[in-house]
Amino acid sequence: MKQGFRQSMAWLHTWSGLVVGWVLFAVFVTGTATYYRADISRWMQPELRREATVTPETLAASADLAVAHLQAQAGAARTWFIGLPTPEKPLVELFWRTKPGAAPGHVLLDPRTGAPAAMRATRGGDFFYRFHFELNLPPLWGRWIVGLCAMVMLVALVSGIVTHRRIFSDFFTLRRDKAAQRGWLDAHNVSGVLALPFHLMITYTGVVTLALMYMPWGVTAAYKGDQFAFFAETGQITRNRPAAGQPGTLAPVGPMVRQALATIPEPLERLTIANPRDANSTVVAVFEEPHGLSHEHPQVAFAGTSGDVVEVLSGGLQPAAKTFTTLVGLHEAHFAGAALRVLFFLCGLMGCAMVASGLVLWSVARLPKSGAVPGFGWRLVHALNLGTIAGLPGAVAAYFLANRLLPLDLAGRAEWEVRVFFGTWILVAGLGAWPAPRRAWRLSLAAVAALFAAVVVADAATARGLWDDPAWFLGFDAALLALAAGFALISHKIARYAGPRRARRAVPEPAPRMEAA
Amino acid sequence: MTLLIGAGLSFLGLAALCLSMGRHHQALWPVPPESRRVLGLRVAGWTLIGLSLAAAIRLDGWNFGPVDWLGSLTGAGLLLIVVQSYRPRVLLWLVPVAAAITAVAALGALA
Amino acid sequence: MTRPLTLNARAAVAGRIVLAMGGGYAVAALATAFLSLTLPMPRAEAVTAATLLSFPIMVAIVVVVFAARSLGRAAAIVGAIGLGLGLALRLVTGSFPFGFGS
Repeated sequence: MKQGFRQSMAWLHTWSGLVVGWVLFAVFVTGTATYYRADISRWMQPELRREATVTPETLAASADLAVAHLQAQAGAARTWFIGLPTPEKPLVELFWRTKPGAAPGHVLLDPRTGAPAAMRATRGGDFFYRFHFELNLPPLWGRWIVGLCAMVMLVALVSGIVTHRRIFSDFFTLRRDKAAQRGWLDAHNVSGVLALPFHLMITYTGVVTLALMYMPWGVTAAYKGDQFAFFAETGQITRNRPAAGQPGTLAPVGPMVRQALATIPEPLERLTIANPRDANSTVVAVFEEPHGLSHEHPQVAFAGTSGDVVEVLSGGLQPAAKTFTTLVGLHEAHFAGAALRVLFFLCGLMGCAMVASGLVLWSVARLPKSGAVPGFGWRLVHALNLGTIAGLPGAVAAYFLANRLLPLDLAGRAEWEVRVFFGTWILVAGLGAWPAPRRAWRLSLAAVAALFAAVVVADAATARGLWDDPAWFLGFDAALLALAAGFALISHKIARYAGPRRARRAVPEPAPRMEAA
Repeated sequence: MTLLIGAGLSFLGLAALCLSMGRHHQALWPVPPESRRVLGLRVAGWTLIGLSLAAAIRLDGWNFGPVDWLGSLTGAGLLLIVVQSYRPRVLLWLVPVAAAITAVAALGALA
Repeated sequence: MTRPLTLNARAAVAGRIVLAMGGGYAVAALATAFLSLTLPMPRAEAVTAATLLSFPIMVAIVVVVFAARSLGRAAAIVGAIGLGLGLALRLVTGSFPFGFGS
């Protein structure tokens, strides 16, 4: 690396981008889908009926009913999480954790009957949300891998900016008439530069979201590693109340819910009950964020056995803590209304496009001369590119398709949907081994388009009778059709540009860099 | 509303900047722009982009304003780049339409 | 399709990667601990600000490692920063009853 600064940064950009590109693409795709997590969940449970309002009485009664269910089913758990009904999702959602490492318990209850809600089992949009930062691996592994890739992405962004010397003069340039490599470079530059504020923001805030896990050393130094104490002192969570070790009886939670609702003017979102059978049990009522950028849930904590308020958290964060919660809020974009959400989604898609075009650019720039046999490295990158860029969207479509086609009473139905997701991914990725790379791309992208179209057909055929709001479901299906059309278009373009590109292709040696020709 | 106004002003500003460049100017007109025209387009472009930021902050405050502004700027940029690389001549009527929509939206926001 | 690399060049690249990851993280971690204890603001604020700063610091170190003229030079820069921060941290913790780093 005895070269100039820009050249060493170009090298760094090319290779750092390549090694984490596949994971980043998966993170970007699932993260972009997560902007519509609630909508995806709703689409995947068409049996759900929404309600106009949820009264405080319903909330109080739901909380009592939830506790009764948990006392019977999850008495040994250390923590109960009770998601309370909202107009969008008028159900009681229960989670409980028994011990670290064990899978959490989960059930959806109908607040009117107290019985499990009669709905198809699915992980819905939550699957994408968790995949986005855990990759369906054990959480600790997944989070570290995603965090490492995000840091490399930050490095790739910074080195990419340094490398791209004609950032302003190429800002509007998307040449379609030149060699394929030129076109891919333009696509990579445009998707990268146009949404650059978003890319920098989303990558940095993504790391910040799990900052204390990746970089715990400040807390180690100043709090001897006590993260609860740190978070409580910043005003983000209520103070930890350790278990007394003595048995205690939880007071009725209905009155606590009423009191919490009288204290905080926001909608009540959930209850967390720690050490429910201990003398020192704690009930925390967590409210929705007030309108603002900051990720800041107002909270009211009660002593579980007496029902007395022990702490009220509502705003009043110090500047650094406020900065932190604002960064997290920006990442999650809960504040975004419909129009801004569309723009965030578009930015997410541009992130996907930037990563994908960067990966393709690497392999196009190193395309073996006609007649030459591609080396192992090239074939590996090509197969991984195709397996990720076509495979993952194919898997997403198949996940939706499985939701409509799997029998409703199938045992372990939610897990089967996930198996279909990974099975399809492997199948589509298998096309990467096809000896003719261009054909493999065309076929696999056409297959993805067909899968998305099939989802719409399956939805109309099997679930039309369940739609409570046909316009909404048709809108969702229209978005899926748009995705299908997009993939079909790309597949078609690859076929059209096959001829001239080969003739015109000239691979500069050594490896071409990001600079414009 | 803010997004519409911000996107409209950004679109017009970005279009002016884009057309101030020889290559993109020639997609619409046979000759590269003369230097006075380049200067005019650049000044107009940066002024409009500045205006869109000012409008976003005026309408949505210092918290949401910049976020809305960046979102609308990116959206407008995407539209402009797609249009001018695939159908550059569409700009000839899209720019007046964008100006009209922005003006109506701005009047609505003032009222 | 890259240029054939000599064993030496490969080792130098591998060395930079290890240095960027290990050294970058070590410097960022030391800086976080040091700033958490020394920033002139309440404890919780100092820890938050230091943690937020740690990631740009790590990115900067990685850029320095790959931009340096040679691996040895990169190692010297990172080592010097790390050593300085380590000593500073030791000084600070010496006057605090934490025992961190001792």
